[in-house]
Amino acid sequence: MTATESIKIEKPPKGASIPAKKGIKKAILGIFKKALETESLDALIIPVKVPETESYAWVLLKDTALLENADPLPPVMTIQGGKVLSDLTKHGKINKNIAAVLRPCETRAAVELFKLKQLHFENISLISIDCPGAIPLSEYLAEPEKSEKSFGNVLDKWDGDDSVREICKTCYRFSLPTLTNAPASDLHIGLSGNTKDDVVLIPVTSKGEKILEKLDLKPESSLQKWETKIKEIKKIKSQRRKEFNHDFKTNISGPEKFTAVFDGCINCHNCQSVCPICYCQQCYFDSATTKLSSEDYFRRAKERGALRFPLDTMLFHLGRMSHMALSCVSCGACEDGLPHVHFRISGLQPRRRADPASIQLYPGNK
Amino acid sequence: MEKAYTPQIIGFLCNWCSYTGADLAGVSRLQIPSSIRVIRLMCSGRIDPLFVTKAIFKGSDGVMMMGCHPGDCHYQKGNYYTRRRYKTIKTVLEVLHLDAERIVLSWVSASEGVKYARVTKEFSNKITGLGPNPLKKEIFL
Ligand code: SF4
Ligand code: SF4
Ligand code: FES
Repeated sequence: MTATESIKIEKPPKGASIPAKKGIKKAILGIFKKALETESLDALIIPVKVPETESYAWVLLKDTALLENADPLPPVMTIQGGKVLSDLTKHGKINKNIAAVLRPCETRAAVELFKLKQLHFENISLISIDCPGAIPLSEYLAEPEKSEKSFGNVLDKWDGDDSVREICKTCYRFSLPTLTNAPASDLHIGLSGNTKDDVVLIPVTSKGEKILEKLDLKPESSLQKWETKIKEIKKIKSQRRKEFNHDFKTNISGPEKFTAVFDGCINCHNCQSVCPICYCQQCYFDSATTKLSSEDYFRRAKERGALRFPLDTMLFHLGRMSHMALSCVSCGACEDGLPHVHFRISGLQPRRRADPASIQLYPGNK
Repeated sequence: MEKAYTPQIIGFLCNWCSYTGADLAGVSRLQIPSSIRVIRLMCSGRIDPLFVTKAIFKGSDGVMMMGCHPGDCHYQKGNYYTRRRYKTIKTVLEVLHLDAERIVLSWVSASEGVKYARVTKEFSNKITGLGPNPLKKEIFL
């Protein structure tokens, strides 16, 4: 049984092509509208632009009017979608038939959370979408209009325009996974490689096939063009990731460099609270255990010669690394959540995840 | 005269096997290195990676993780988690060049007093050879 509890169908040979004369997003939303109207789906969970503001929020909706402001691929990743699904289903399966529209790194987070028993997949269909990256949150908030525009360019160019987040420039898992046996989603929306006049819906599991069936869509179009383009982009991004991994390793090895990388940390723990995988109810580092008596501080200061405050600022990062190493999905939410300081955290984990030879104990290490 | 260097090693021992094994070693009057400080846990599966990384960051010269042999865990699969965690911590420390060799995982059953004496001695000798953990004096870490 696969993570999504559906039967994986063999490598999808064909997809259902949808005309997108009025833009790809409109075309996708049109499909969702039909799915809700025909009750093929009871509800949908999707990012929606909050009226009168520049932010995007996840909304569980049934009312098709709300789809007006929905966006299957918003320019920013506000809250990691895996976290949202976990919130929704942590305490048990849902009885409605819903679909969630997620970026690939969000579907991977959902799968990891499922393995950690933090999420139920029953009755949920995961719909993933080709993702060109996301604009850094801070940049988007500073200049939303400009960011919307540059995101449009990113969608046109597809090979990692400069304006997307660093992690996205090196994200080679931005589409359907082809290297793993476990499907990360049920239905995939292929964007790249198609002319801007169509999008292609690719059934990945039997659940995905059923959705298409209910919508009367037949997967009859060839995926060749899409696959070729995906391969091309993947190659570029994998190469970038390789280079990044190499540089990163050189820049963090040894106690001095490690300290230097994290020196900007202001101990806000934002990286932890936005991470989909950091799911403990109470983190040791937020607990009272970390607060010592002044005598204790003095004793420690004496042992070391001096004592850095707050205690454990660096240990926190090492702790997070050793907790996350096997499950980090390289989504960059941690980095995006940083306040004013800038250091690469999401890069830490994928370096090892990208190197399965180093950790072979985990079947989910994809 | 300068005092000979004795490392400080933290041993996280599972109650059911390794701790009993250590006890047996003591009762059998085997020689155990004085460098090892034992912390007893109900299962090696209780060893959070944080225990180990914290010990190293705070300046322990070595850390031993010990539990029941695979298949013998009192709670069925605790030591499988331990094994996976050990590999993870090792890899993380290796990548960071933070003295990964100061950590070891060992399976010691309740009847293996002799093994307990041997592995602790071997590890203690190794750590003595490595010398004090350089992170002990790192102020900014
Ligand atoms: S890491 Fe970036 S490019 Fe990759 S799937 Fe996530 S948002 Fe998209
Ligand atoms: S550690 Fe960062 S990149 Fe990895 S899953 Fe968590 S938020 Fe995403
Ligand atoms: S009880 Fe000994 S390792 Fe679990």
